[in-house]
Amino acid sequence: MFFDFANVFIFIILGLLMTFVIITVSRLLAPRVSDVPDKFTTYECGERPVGSAWILFNFRFYAVALAFLIFDIELALVFPCISVYHKWLKAGSGLFALIEIAVFVGILFLGLIYMWNRGDLKWTKEVPEEMEEGLVLEEEKPITF
Amino acid sequence: MIPENFIQSNLQGISFIGPELILTLAILLILLVGVLLPYWRHRILFTILAVAGLAGSVLPLWKLPQPAPDLTYLSNLFVWDWLTFLSKPFFAVVGVLTILLTQVTGEIDNSEYSECTILVLAVTMGMMLLVASTDLLMIYLAFETMGILSYLLVGIRARDERSGEAALKYVLYGAFTSGTMLFGFSLLFGLAGSTDLLAISQKVAFASQHPQDRLLLIVAILFFLAGLLFKTASFPFHFWCPDVYEGAPTPITAFLSVGPKAAGFVLFIRLFYPLFATGHDATIYEAVSGLDWPSILALVSAITMTLGNLAAIHQNNLKRLLAYSSIAHAGYLLMGIVSLSDLGLRSVVFYLVVYLFMNVGAFAVVAMVASAGGSEEIDSYRGLGARAPYVCVAMAIFLFSLIGLPPFAGFVGKVYLFAAVIYKKIYWLAVVAALNTVISLYYYLRIVKAMFLEKPTETIQIQVPLSSRVLLLALLVPTLGLGIYWQPLARVVSGMF
Repeated sequence: MFFDFANVFIFIILGLLMTFVIITVSRLLAPRVSDVPDKFTTYECGERPVGSAWILFNFRFYAVALAFLIFDIELALVFPCISVYHKWLKAGSGLFALIEIAVFVGILFLGLIYMWNRGDLKWTKEVPEEMEEGLVLEEEKPITF
Repeated sequence: MIPENFIQSNLQGISFIGPELILTLAILLILLVGVLLPYWRHRILFTILAVAGLAGSVLPLWKLPQPAPDLTYLSNLFVWDWLTFLSKPFFAVVGVLTILLTQVTGEIDNSEYSECTILVLAVTMGMMLLVASTDLLMIYLAFETMGILSYLLVGIRARDERSGEAALKYVLYGAFTSGTMLFGFSLLFGLAGSTDLLAISQKVAFASQHPQDRLLLIVAILFFLAGLLFKTASFPFHFWCPDVYEGAPTPITAFLSVGPKAAGFVLFIRLFYPLFATGHDATIYEAVSGLDWPSILALVSAITMTLGNLAAIHQNNLKRLLAYSSIAHAGYLLMGIVSLSDLGLRSVVFYLVVYLFMNVGAFAVVAMVASAGGSEEIDSYRGLGARAPYVCVAMAIFLFSLIGLPPFAGFVGKVYLFAAVIYKKIYWLAVVAALNTVISLYYYLRIVKAMFLEKPTETIQIQVPLSSRVLLLALLVPTLGLGIYWQPLARVVSGMF
């Protein structure tokens, strides 16, 4: 049984070794220059950063991503059913399989309706007035560490 | 080709998950009603639908065959034994009480109410699935259904900072511990080559004889424990409990303190007894040789109750106080698991039923006082006995029952738990538990003293509506009744194991 884990063990050893190997190789190969302004930028490879990373992201992105994920998984789950559906038809239980898939898709469809109804499919969602007062954005503060 | 009998057996198995199917239908219906009638947001409609769904979910249970320990269905994913059979109505009652409590206290906004009922139903469904599962994958799936949806429930008040903070803490802690538990599952699967608990138990009994596998088993058990101790809010995975209980809406707190906690204990029984214990004789089990998990759990139990009770002493917020008391009660309940006997298992189930009524009762009073103009701080309760006698007497009864004073139901439950460990000759644990009961006397009675013996510092009038009074009465009757006439419940419970 211990032998089965030999693969994993070799990977761990290799992984640890690689860390040192890469650092050593880069130390040997890299030119030793100091005080180049590029060394102090975020990406040390010549890419100049554009603006600050501390910006407000559009939160709506998550709702849409979540919906996409659900329907992506739906596809992944329905696809195997479709691929064996022919066999089910031959076995005489095609209706059963159809109902099963229909129930599954139907529940997700209801979820889509719910989401639509809440306005989560629009890029800009309007905030109800009674909630707006709680949404006062704080003034931008410089972030210090 | 598809074997005909596979489809047939699956179709037969569907009738066994009738309660879950009915709950799903109820969830879909509430979702649809919430979408179709957006401007007609009557809470009562959702409440009626949800309660009807929960009540309806219990109905198909009596049409099903007699439960038996080896009656499995849906490709051995679930088992139909007495524990499953009786847990489902238990969780339905938990759900109904939560929804009624949300209805009468009005703590959750109308705009979030339909979602709240949906989530309560869905968590209930997850708990029902969890207690029936005998397959590691199904257990994990149901565990996460219960877990992820309860994180949402905690954060249901989206605009409330405390609610959001509590939900975030719960998510992070829950993700970590359930991941650890899943790792334990994978180790066990690697050892046994199967996810079926029965198949695993045979392999485990075999593997525990070999020193190199024993180490793996111990690691698997420790990883298991992470998930289970998190759900039951026991040491060393209790840190989330006070913050989450304080930040969540009070009815949801009541729900979490009895629902997922009870599900956690049922999972304890499901996992530890078949996997890591062998039947010694008819009623006593023995830990699989070489694994002394009962001693580990006994230690966890002692630390959990002591820590919960000591931390509760200094709390001035009643929800926090009751959260620490719920940690302490997890410690008491673990005594039954530790004792490795049928008596212990019965006492756990008995105590869970009793705990349901008294703990939901205590949280119900907190929610009612807060919604009637008071607050959750103990200052609001000073001199409240004169202004709201009915509610305060009810609170006193729930608290006395939580202490374990006769003639209330908590006393009988505790007697069974103590009997289980004393019968197993773990005297030190019984002594620790007895000392803890004395400690708990102090902080529970502090509330009673504030209510009846102290002068009021606030002059607000507490008006508790009739619906709240009726709900309190429904919780008082079992708390008092089971303390005096507990034989029917004891008989039902002793038929289970």
